[in-house]
Amino acid sequence: MKIKVCGLKHPENIEAVAALQPDYVGFIFYDKTPRYAAGLSADALQAIPASIRKTGVFVNESAENIDKLIAEYGFNAIQLHGDESPAFCAAFKGRVTVIKAFGLNEDFDFEQLKDYANNVDLFLFDTKTKIYGGSGKTFDWTILDQYKLDVPFFLSGGIGPENIAEVKNITHPQFYGVDLNSRFEIEPGLKNIEKLKDAFNIVKNKIQQMKYGVNEQGYYGDFGGAYIPEMLYPNVEELRQQYLNILNDEGFKAEFDDLLKNYVGRPSPLYHAKRYSEKYGANIFFKREDLNHTGSHKINNAIGQILLAKRLGKKRIIAETGAGQHGVATATVCALMGIECVVYMGEIDMARQAPNVSRMKMLGAKVIPATSGSKTLKDATNEALRDWIGNPVDTHYIIGSVVGPYPYPDMVARFQSIISAETKKQLVEYTGSELPQYVLACVGGGSNAMGMFYHFLDDESVKLVAVEAAGKGVNSGESAATTALGNEGVLHGSRTILMQTEDGQVVEPYSISAGLDYPGIGPQHAHLFKSHRGEYVSITDDEALQAGLLCCQLEGIIPAIETAHALAQLEKMKFEANDNVVICISGRGDKDLDTYIKYFNY
Amino acid sequence: MNRLNKLFASKNNNLLSIYFTAGYPALNTTVDIAEALEKSGADFLEIGFPYSDPVADGPTIQHSSEVALENGMSLKVLFEELTELRSRVSIPILLMGYFNPIAQYGIERFCKKAAEVGVDGIIVPDLPIYEYENMYSSYFIDNGLSNIFLVTPQTSEERIRKIDELSNSFIYLLSSSTITGYNLKLSDSVEDYYKRITAMKLKNPTVIGFGITDSSSFAKACNYANGAIIGSRFVKLLGEDGYMDKIDGFIKGIRP
Ligand SMILES: Cc1ncc(COP(=O)(O)O)c(C=O)c1O
Repeated sequence: MKIKVCGLKHPENIEAVAALQPDYVGFIFYDKTPRYAAGLSADALQAIPASIRKTGVFVNESAENIDKLIAEYGFNAIQLHGDESPAFCAAFKGRVTVIKAFGLNEDFDFEQLKDYANNVDLFLFDTKTKIYGGSGKTFDWTILDQYKLDVPFFLSGGIGPENIAEVKNITHPQFYGVDLNSRFEIEPGLKNIEKLKDAFNIVKNKIQQMKYGVNEQGYYGDFGGAYIPEMLYPNVEELRQQYLNILNDEGFKAEFDDLLKNYVGRPSPLYHAKRYSEKYGANIFFKREDLNHTGSHKINNAIGQILLAKRLGKKRIIAETGAGQHGVATATVCALMGIECVVYMGEIDMARQAPNVSRMKMLGAKVIPATSGSKTLKDATNEALRDWIGNPVDTHYIIGSVVGPYPYPDMVARFQSIISAETKKQLVEYTGSELPQYVLACVGGGSNAMGMFYHFLDDESVKLVAVEAAGKGVNSGESAATTALGNEGVLHGSRTILMQTEDGQVVEPYSISAGLDYPGIGPQHAHLFKSHRGEYVSITDDEALQAGLLCCQLEGIIPAIETAHALAQLEKMKFEANDNVVICISGRGDKDLDTYIKYFNY
Repeated sequence: MNRLNKLFASKNNNLLSIYFTAGYPALNTTVDIAEALEKSGADFLEIGFPYSDPVADGPTIQHSSEVALENGMSLKVLFEELTELRSRVSIPILLMGYFNPIAQYGIERFCKKAAEVGVDGIIVPDLPIYEYENMYSSYFIDNGLSNIFLVTPQTSEERIRKIDELSNSFIYLLSSSTITGYNLKLSDSVEDYYKRITAMKLKNPTVIGFGITDSSSFAKACNYANGAIIGSRFVKLLGEDGYMDKIDGFIKGIRP
């Protein structure tokens, strides 16, 4: 799809728009519009690269004047917005690209276009108004179905940030591109570059390239991709094509933000933990994801994905869960939206996280035990994938972490990135800077950590510390310290680092915390690890439980055992007195009371 | 031209292929089973190498994979067993399995070794087209191995054309979007799908797999494709006592 940006008149703004590389830029020579480009020096157009077609826009202008302006500004295209006849258009055709504009409404007579068909290169369809030129209002796009000629057309009129994604659904064979104008402005004639940039990304389906972010093929350095059997290809491909459009859609964003605020209870507080700060000799801040509805960060992703599933028209949700936190979050959002929910959970995990099984059932979800393999999280994931293979059309699979085939790792990271987006704002209030010296989080698949790291990835002064579960010790044979014990391979659809035998069989991990008991990490973590952007460390069961108890007694917060791993890492670090340290309190410990009680004999 | 190409050139209908998991029910049975299948008339074989997390497989093949792993099967062991393959078996042989064990073994080394023991083609369900084309196809081509792609009722026409272009022996059609081990239901929509494929006039022959269990589903599948593959039903037989003596009856029962 081509992009035309129209109504430019300020030299610096022209340069900034040209840097976005639209296919056409338009300059309006009509004195009744506030976007009138008269007085613009021809030099201002010199800097525009040849790949961008410079278009003069006219309304019932004389042929001599148009010729004069073509010569003066070096236009490659003209757009005629008045009552110009087919013969008038024909006189220019061949010398420049001729675009003839028409205002459309329900009564528009498409017959009249026939006479123009051989005399123009393109049509431009705008909303019909009494005045000439753009109206900024949209028309009912279904009337385009009546257009049957073979001249391609631009669509114009009221295309703005909130409906740009919908334009991508137009399948008319002659649909050539969009004309962006008044809805992307700071004032008439001055374009809003940020808004245009987002729109370009949506239209071109481009991923805003971040140094540690995903590329167009779904890779982070050596990691990522979509290693899936053909049976899953249509499902994953549908997501890949749609997820950025949907996530960038203004309506989607508004609904997501509203639910995060009013249902989940965001923003979650950034709490200055004073007794921790005293103990560790630095300013320690807790990002309180434990205070979210359902008790962990998992709800952020579940809300995002259920809204996405609704927009994809899905009628049934499946999910995998280890500790049950993601299963509970998914069951919750399915109840909220009235959508059928099936959660796969390893038989062993069902026994050790029994309260969460009951919660899911109360919320109306069906919990199916995964009885294959080792009967834990990785097998629950396998079962969910098998279910999805058998139900390719009506089912969406809500993966619970930044794992799985592309686009899941990127999509889940974006939903969780709210954690670091809020942290930056909140930290300024305390410290005057958005950047701390350290950010810490625990890593199972890595979603709370990726959410906590996301907006700090390009701020290389911020040290990112990811804490894995060492279980009974990295070398005990009972561990889940993936980066310490694993090597590169493919797990659950992405190339990443995983624990495996030399024959490539996946090794069953162990951790006291069911949420960290996973043999892999998300591909973006593998990339951060390999590129040394992040420091990956591990904490044993004993260290974690002690740290969990310490948090209860120093701050009055019972953390999830997963989170306690991140807290335990503080013991091993050396800080300067002025260091600001943010630690993601990914979840609360209610679900872990049994384990704590047994361990400490309370 | 490898053995697969020769087979399809000489015979283009009712081809019967059998899948079984190497190392199941016991080690050192792979070539015995292959030999018995050839004697009974099977046209070509797929030998599965086991993986701990076979997401495209149903309970039967999952179970056979678990047992095979417990028995100590691995690519290394399989290639040792296959050193006597070509002195005893002459029909085309494919290896089928997931990507991670191959990646650990080394893809180039895997392709070399497979060619060396006389394998003709490879089926890796979770190796995507993009990665195959851009990173690995030369290893397959240099070693004379055919890579087999799967197509499901949901695969778009454009993608099927691409697969046809990248294939050089046959295309594996799935009867429906399913994991292995479920019965073929020849509903109208499945029939439409086969007709759609036939109408595309692909350059490669097609073989239908997943859900073929008996002579009637085999015959139905052969109405639409050059042949069909039986997997789970045969693997079940290997779980029975005295399975070696039952192979001949099984094959004759499928294609009388
Ligand atoms: C409280 C809590 N923290 C962390 C995790 C680990 O998941 P991730 O690494 O995706 O954040 C879990 C998983 O269940 C969890 O429940």
